[in-house]
Amino acid sequence: MLRNRQARRAYDLLYLLTFRELKLRYQDTVLGFGWSLIRPLLQGAVLYVVLSKFIRIDVEDYGLVLLAGLFPWTWFQTSLTLAVGSFAANGALIKKVYFPRAVLPLATVLNNGVQYALSIPVLLVLLLVAGYRPDWTWLIGVPYLLLVEAALIMGIVLFIASLDVYFRDLEHLTDVFVGLIWFYLTPVIYPLSIVPDKYHDWVLLNPMASLIEGWRDLFLHNQVPGVDLWPALAFAAGAAAVGTLSFRSMQGGFADAL
Amino acid sequence: MRSDPGDIAIAFEGVSKHYSLSLQKEATDVKSMLLHLPRFLSNARRPFVALDNVDLRVRRGESVGIIGPNGSGKSTTLRVMAGITPPTSGRVEVNGRVVGLLELGSGFHPRISGRENAILNAVLLGLTLDEARAVLPDIIAFSELGDFIDQPMRTYSSGMYFRLGFSVAVHVQPEILLIDEVLAVGDAHFQDKCMEHIHGLRRQGVTLVLVTHDMLSLPKFCDRGVLLEQGRITDEGTPQQVVHNYLARVEALLALRAEDQQRLKLAQAVGQ
Repeated sequence: MLRNRQARRAYDLLYLLTFRELKLRYQDTVLGFGWSLIRPLLQGAVLYVVLSKFIRIDVEDYGLVLLAGLFPWTWFQTSLTLAVGSFAANGALIKKVYFPRAVLPLATVLNNGVQYALSIPVLLVLLLVAGYRPDWTWLIGVPYLLLVEAALIMGIVLFIASLDVYFRDLEHLTDVFVGLIWFYLTPVIYPLSIVPDKYHDWVLLNPMASLIEGWRDLFLHNQVPGVDLWPALAFAAGAAAVGTLSFRSMQGGFADAL
Repeated sequence: MRSDPGDIAIAFEGVSKHYSLSLQKEATDVKSMLLHLPRFLSNARRPFVALDNVDLRVRRGESVGIIGPNGSGKSTTLRVMAGITPPTSGRVEVNGRVVGLLELGSGFHPRISGRENAILNAVLLGLTLDEARAVLPDIIAFSELGDFIDQPMRTYSSGMYFRLGFSVAVHVQPEILLIDEVLAVGDAHFQDKCMEHIHGLRRQGVTLVLVTHDMLSLPKFCDRGVLLEQGRITDEGTPQQVVHNYLARVEALLALRAEDQQRLKLAQAVGQ
């Protein structure tokens, strides 16, 4: 009964914080939600011009291939960058009130997930304009991949955000690693198909590679990812377990360490 | 030692809380950890004992006031009771829904309205969203904020901020209410209203643990007084008695100091 109530309250808090963050981001801005679309679209446009026109990457419908990878990647990168510091940044609250602490980083992940989900219709329109015919597989594929990506991000974020309370370097380290290294090693600005065969297996060991390719298969070919998704599935399960366990063992010390 | 949980709201058995001072100050990043590696490894952290083997029982419906000098462990006691921080050793038992009022308006955000802040704050303090929505009209009425409730909180005066914080706090229906020095704010009218509300909660059987520096309010609110000094309970009894003993000792101490000063002056005068 008491446990039930606690779970209910944690869920309510998550909901309130997620939407408060969404609201705060758009409040007092002229373009509002538009900003969530403008950033990846602008980034996509620049990358398209540079990679397709200047470097002349040889991929069919490169613009769509790019956006189909860039949108889900943006959820991953923004969540990680913003959420790993959320325990450390909310020290005052953690020291004064007892509440399920995990909601702090998870709300940021969800908030960015909502923004990503709302950008999928934009992609849909672009695909339709280009002559693609998305079908019912999206109804299964989109929720499925959203769930996998959410578990993956939340696991990583819980783990790093907990450690970050003790070692603030992790905020910078995450920012650098995700933005400068992981981004280029994942087939976001290029499809897996142009990677030479001898590197193929290596690239696929990266859980984000199989996930981004999964999104791409769904958006461009109406295929719900099957076994090829295993690195992402395994990693998401592992990250969720490690994240939950490490958070549980460390959270008692948060109020003292902050 | 185990007692009927229906009778005891909070039980501390041999509760100690140590803070590791150097760990907090120096090991916040890898660089400083490496810089202080010898000291870090030699484990030469200076433990600060905030609570030292404290035994305390609070009965259901009882109202206990904790007094003591700064740094004696009063706030730590409340934080352990609220579950914010675990004890280093000892056993803590809490029966019932605890609401800790260690600060008013925790998590209030200046850019959103009082109404939305009140809901979030209420859920943060212990209600579910449905319950929070149900008591919201009472919270708004109690706060006397009127139309301001829909304005962003950055437009509030500090008094209005406090009023909303307190209104939420007293409406979250706790079984055990922990209050840390938050009563002494606001204007006289609103303070009276707060006091009245707290008396009302007590009549409803809410257990109250109050930390205060205000020696006069202690007998008004509490059935029992507890004196904490350097993390230990050094006196316990009726609030009047505990306050009286404590003040008498403080006065004696001050008198002693004054006497020392006199002697010092005399000695200096003689020396010249």
